[in-house]
Amino acid sequence: MEETPGLSDQYRKASPWPLFIALGVPISELGLLFDIFPVAVGGLLLFCGCVVGMLQEAGYIRMPWSGLAVSAGLLFLAGGGVLYINPQVGVDMTLRAYAILASGLILAMGAGAGRLFVPKSQFPA
Amino acid sequence: MDISAQISLTVLMGVFLVAVATWLTRVENWRSYSPVGGGAIVDRSGYVEEEKPAGIIRWLTTVDHKDIGILYGLYGITAFVVGGLMVTAMRIDLVTSESLLGTATYNGLLTSHGITMLFLFGTPIIAAFANYLIPLIIGADDMAFPRINAIAFWLLPPAALLIWAGFFAKPLGLFGPAQTAWTMYTPLSTGAAGGSADMVGGAGVDMMLLGLHLSGVATTIGAINFIATIFTQRGEKVTWANLDIFSWTVLTQSGLILFAFPLLGSALVMLLADRNFGTTFFLSDGGNMLWQHLFWFFGHPEVYVLVLPMMGIVSYVLPRFAGRQLFGFKFVVYSTLAIGVLSFGVWAHHMFATGMDPRLRTSFMAVSMAIAIPSAVKTFNWITTLWNGRIRLTTPMLFCIGFVSNFIIGGVTGVFLASIPVDLVLHDTYYVVGHFHYVVMGAIAFAGFAGIYYWFPLVTGRMYQASLGKAHFWLTMIGTNITFFAMILLGYGGMPRRYATYLPQFASLHQLATLGALIIFVGQLIWFWNMVSSWFEGKRVESADPWNLADDGVNTIEWQWFGTKLDTQLATDGGEADEVATDGGQVDADDASADADADPETNTE
Repeated sequence: MEETPGLSDQYRKASPWPLFIALGVPISELGLLFDIFPVAVGGLLLFCGCVVGMLQEAGYIRMPWSGLAVSAGLLFLAGGGVLYINPQVGVDMTLRAYAILASGLILAMGAGAGRLFVPKSQFPA
Repeated sequence: MDISAQISLTVLMGVFLVAVATWLTRVENWRSYSPVGGGAIVDRSGYVEEEKPAGIIRWLTTVDHKDIGILYGLYGITAFVVGGLMVTAMRIDLVTSESLLGTATYNGLLTSHGITMLFLFGTPIIAAFANYLIPLIIGADDMAFPRINAIAFWLLPPAALLIWAGFFAKPLGLFGPAQTAWTMYTPLSTGAAGGSADMVGGAGVDMMLLGLHLSGVATTIGAINFIATIFTQRGEKVTWANLDIFSWTVLTQSGLILFAFPLLGSALVMLLADRNFGTTFFLSDGGNMLWQHLFWFFGHPEVYVLVLPMMGIVSYVLPRFAGRQLFGFKFVVYSTLAIGVLSFGVWAHHMFATGMDPRLRTSFMAVSMAIAIPSAVKTFNWITTLWNGRIRLTTPMLFCIGFVSNFIIGGVTGVFLASIPVDLVLHDTYYVVGHFHYVVMGAIAFAGFAGIYYWFPLVTGRMYQASLGKAHFWLTMIGTNITFFAMILLGYGGMPRRYATYLPQFASLHQLATLGALIIFVGQLIWFWNMVSSWFEGKRVESADPWNLADDGVNTIEWQWFGTKLDTQLATDGGEADEVATDGGQVDADDASADADADPETNTE
C-alpha cells in the first residue's frame, strides 16, 4: 500500500466514500418504499459497501470482510423483521423483505469470497 | 412491474454499481496510474496540492470543513433562489382575486416554498457559516468527524430533488407536487389510505416525505458533529468561559436538533407507513391530534433551530461595527440556553384552535409568553451595545440593525398570538403568515445576509461592491415591511391563509403585498449579481483586517487565520494594484463618524 497510496492517503482532506454513502440512502429508500426490487438491492449494496470502505479508510478495520459480514448480519435481521411484521399490516411486504435479505446474501457472499481468495498482504498491517 | 422492466432495472443498477466501484478503485489508487497526480492540467495552487485533489474531484471528495461550508452555502443559496422564485410566482398569482396559475399549482408552490425555505435554505445556510467558521474560531483543525460532515452535506442534494420531484414529474404526466402545505396535516396527507382519494399529490407526497426525512437525517448528523466538535476539539486557550457567542448558539441549536429532528423523522416514517404499508398510526381516533402533537413538538423548536444561530451571527457581527464588545455577553448566552429549554414547552400554541383541553392550553400560553423574556433580553442587549457606540453603517451592520427592527415586530406580533383569546380570532389568517415571515425573512434571512457580507472577504479574498450591497439592503428592508405588514393587516381583516383566491375586499392589500414582494425580488437580483461578479472580479483584499476592526480593538480570531492565509500564499496572480477600499472601513479612527462611513464615495465600487 505504501507504493500505491490511495486518494485519502495522498490527500489528507479528501475521501471518496461520503458521496456514495449519501447516494445509497435515498436509492435504497426509494426502492423499498415503491417496492422496486433491483433499486432497493442496489441502494443497500452501495450504502453498506461504502460504509465499510470508509471504516477501512479511517483505520477502524484493517480488511473490509468482517465489516461486510456484520452489515450482512444487520440486513438479515432487518429483512427477518419485515417478514415477521408482514402478516400484521394490510400491505404485502414480502418482496421488500426479500430485497433486504438478498442484499445481505450478496454482501455475505462477497465477505466470504474476499476472505477466501484475497491475500492478506493486499492490506496494510 | 412487469418482468422486462425489472430485468432492465436490474441491469441498470448493476452497471451503476460497477461504474461506482470502478471509479472508487481508480480514485483510491490515484498515484499508481497517474504519477504526476490527477488533474495535472488543472491549475493548482500550492495550498490545495498537498491536501486535496484538483478540479471537480476536489469538490466531490472533500472532507475539509471550509470546502463543505462553501458547498453548504452554494446549496442554500440555490434553494433560496428556487424558493424565492416559487413565492414570486405565488405573489403574482395573488394580484387578482381569481387564481392565474390554478389552485393545484398554487398549493404545490405553497407547500414547496415553505419546505424549501425552512429545510433546504434555512438550515443549510446556518450549517454553511458554522462549518466554515466554528473550527476556525475555536481553534480546531477540522470538524470532529470530517467524513460524517461530508455525508451530511451530500444527503441534501438528493433530498432537494425528492422534495421538488413532483414539479419534474408533472410535465412527464407521472405525478404532481405535494399539496399538503409544509405542516402535512392528516387526514389530508394520509391520502388514499385515509379513505378519501389522494388529491394532494399521490407519489409526490411520498417523495416529499422521503426527501424531508433525508434532510432531517442530514441535519441530525450535522448537529452531532457540531456538538462533538465544540466539546472536544476546542483549542487550548478556548474555555467555556471565553467560548464565542456564535459557537454557543450553534451548540444550543445542535442540542435542539438532537431532540427535535429524530422525532420528525419518526413521525414522517409513520406517515409513510400509513400511506404505503397499511399501518394505522394516524388513521384511528385521535390520529389527527397525534400528528399535530408530533409535528409541532418538532416544528416549534425548528423555529429556534433557525433563529438561534442567526441571533448568534448578529451578536457576533453587530458589536464589530458598534466599536464595542457585546453588552451583557453572559446574559445573551443564558438567554440562548433559556430559549433552547423553553422552546420544547410551547408547541401546542399552534393547536389552540383544535379543541384540545383548555387547561393544557393555558400552560402552553404561559410558557409561550415566558419565552418572550429571553428573546427580549437579547434585543435589549443588542440595543444597549449600539448605545453610545461608534456605529459604522456598513452593509453587514445595516442588515444587523434591520434584523433587530424586524425581529421586534415579528416578536411582538407573536406575543399576541400566544394569547389564547387573540389566537382564536387570528388563527389561520394572514396575521400568522405576516408574523412568522417577519421572523424568518425579516430576521433570519437578514442575519444570513449580514453574515454573508461580513465574511465575504474571508471566504473569497475579495470585497463585494458596497453600493450594490446598500441598495440590496434598502430594497429588502422596504419590501419586507410592505409585504408582511400588509399581511398583518389582511389577517386583521379576516383573510384566511393558504388560499389561491380571495374576496374582492382584500384585493388592495394583496396587491400591496405583491408590490412589496417584487421590491424584494429586485433587491435579491442585485444581491445575486453583486455576489457573483464580486466573487470573480471584486477587488482583492490585501489586509488581514478588511473591516478595520483593530481600530476599535474588536478584532476576532477568524481574521487572524485569514491573515496567515494571506501571508502564506505563494504568489498572487498579479492582482489589482489599487488599494482595496472597504465597505465603510476606510475612514481613519480620528475623524471617524457614522455619516462619513456611510458615504458611498469611500466605498469600493
